[in-house]
Amino acid sequence: MENELKVQLSVSDFIALTNQTLEYAYPSVEIEGEVASFKVNQGKYVFFDLKDAGGSVGCFMTVWQLRVPIEDGMKVIVSATPKLTQWGKFSLTVRAIRPSGAGALKKSFELLKAKLDNEGLFAPERKRPLPTLPHHIGVITSTQAAGYADFVKILDDRWGGMQVDVAHVQVQGADAPDQMIRALTYFNEREELPEVIVIIRGGGSADDLAAFNDELLVRAIAASRVPTLVGVGHEIDTSLADLAADVRAATPSNAAQLLVPDRQEIIRNARQRVASLLPKVGQAIEQQRTHITNQLKYALETITREVDRRYERLQAMRRVLAELDPNKVLARGYALIRGVQKVGRVIDIETKQAILTAEVTNYVEK
Amino acid sequence: MSKNNTMSIQEKTEKLAALTAWFDSDDFVLEQALDKFKEAEMLAAEIEKDLNELKNEITVVKQSFADGE
Repeated sequence: MENELKVQLSVSDFIALTNQTLEYAYPSVEIEGEVASFKVNQGKYVFFDLKDAGGSVGCFMTVWQLRVPIEDGMKVIVSATPKLTQWGKFSLTVRAIRPSGAGALKKSFELLKAKLDNEGLFAPERKRPLPTLPHHIGVITSTQAAGYADFVKILDDRWGGMQVDVAHVQVQGADAPDQMIRALTYFNEREELPEVIVIIRGGGSADDLAAFNDELLVRAIAASRVPTLVGVGHEIDTSLADLAADVRAATPSNAAQLLVPDRQEIIRNARQRVASLLPKVGQAIEQQRTHITNQLKYALETITREVDRRYERLQAMRRVLAELDPNKVLARGYALIRGVQKVGRVIDIETKQAILTAEVTNYVEK
Repeated sequence: MSKNNTMSIQEKTEKLAALTAWFDSDDFVLEQALDKFKEAEMLAAEIEKDLNELKNEITVVKQSFADGE
């Protein structure tokens, strides 16, 4: 034991060796705990303690690495490297931090939502309409995700003739927000801009969808030159990316539905339009026929009325003529005398019943 | 070759809408109705054919977004 090799180091060397050993032992470690004594110094440096029932460890990170709001009491998972500082204090140098568990995720979501809402990122007046019939679209998603397959199937079923550029990215995990931001930048910097950028991901747990509540990603979506359509998770899931997008889709399938019209519906409409014309032509023919029939009827009625009028007039004349008939006068008891009415002359007297021959024996002027 | 072949689907759809509107307008003349109907019928068939032939061109961007490059 007395021959045991004793290592003698300077303090600085000891600290350096310890850090080297720590780095070798824990190149990257994820630690879950509750945040305590959270503070930001000079607007740049973030300090807090990570603790559980059995212990506590100090943590350090820069404010730029802080992608989600954190506050005391929140349960988080940090990706960090353990480090011994030059003052001999042990701490964790945090590269990334994310809320852990439903409660912390919800709390972080609400804090960031309030902050960004306050800045007007979700304001309705910022929303731009999507193009009616896009010819060129950019899609940000994981091409291995079920949501992407659903989106493409619905898109192909509904419409065609589009150029669809797909940026394959991670849609969950610590790297997902930065990858999606890079893809957004890529599409926004194209010489030939897409008319719309679609960000999609299928359903998952709150932790799986947490990437879509990343502050920088949400800001990048809000700042996009190209209108954005975000369809993440299921209908009940709402992410901050959804709120910042110009249009929110309930699901990836719904995103395809919102993006393009249904060609089958257009075909049905075109058929219906044409089918609706024949009854109109039939109706016009019927109207024309009715019009002609009415005109003929009117002409016939006019002729009939004129014939009736003339017939009535004839009948009236007949009645007058009938009244002038000599036989009617004879019937009333009068007689008709023919011959020279002078004394001694023979005259004929006609009554209703007979014709008499008589001699005039007396003639007196009235 | 129909003169409609150079028109886009949107233009054809608009033309079909204008044709069908003619049947409800004051310009409607029975003598022209049959020709207009045939034209509408042909347009609808072309729209259906054009729509069914449309295919999307999907390209996965070669650039990697996994790092900051």
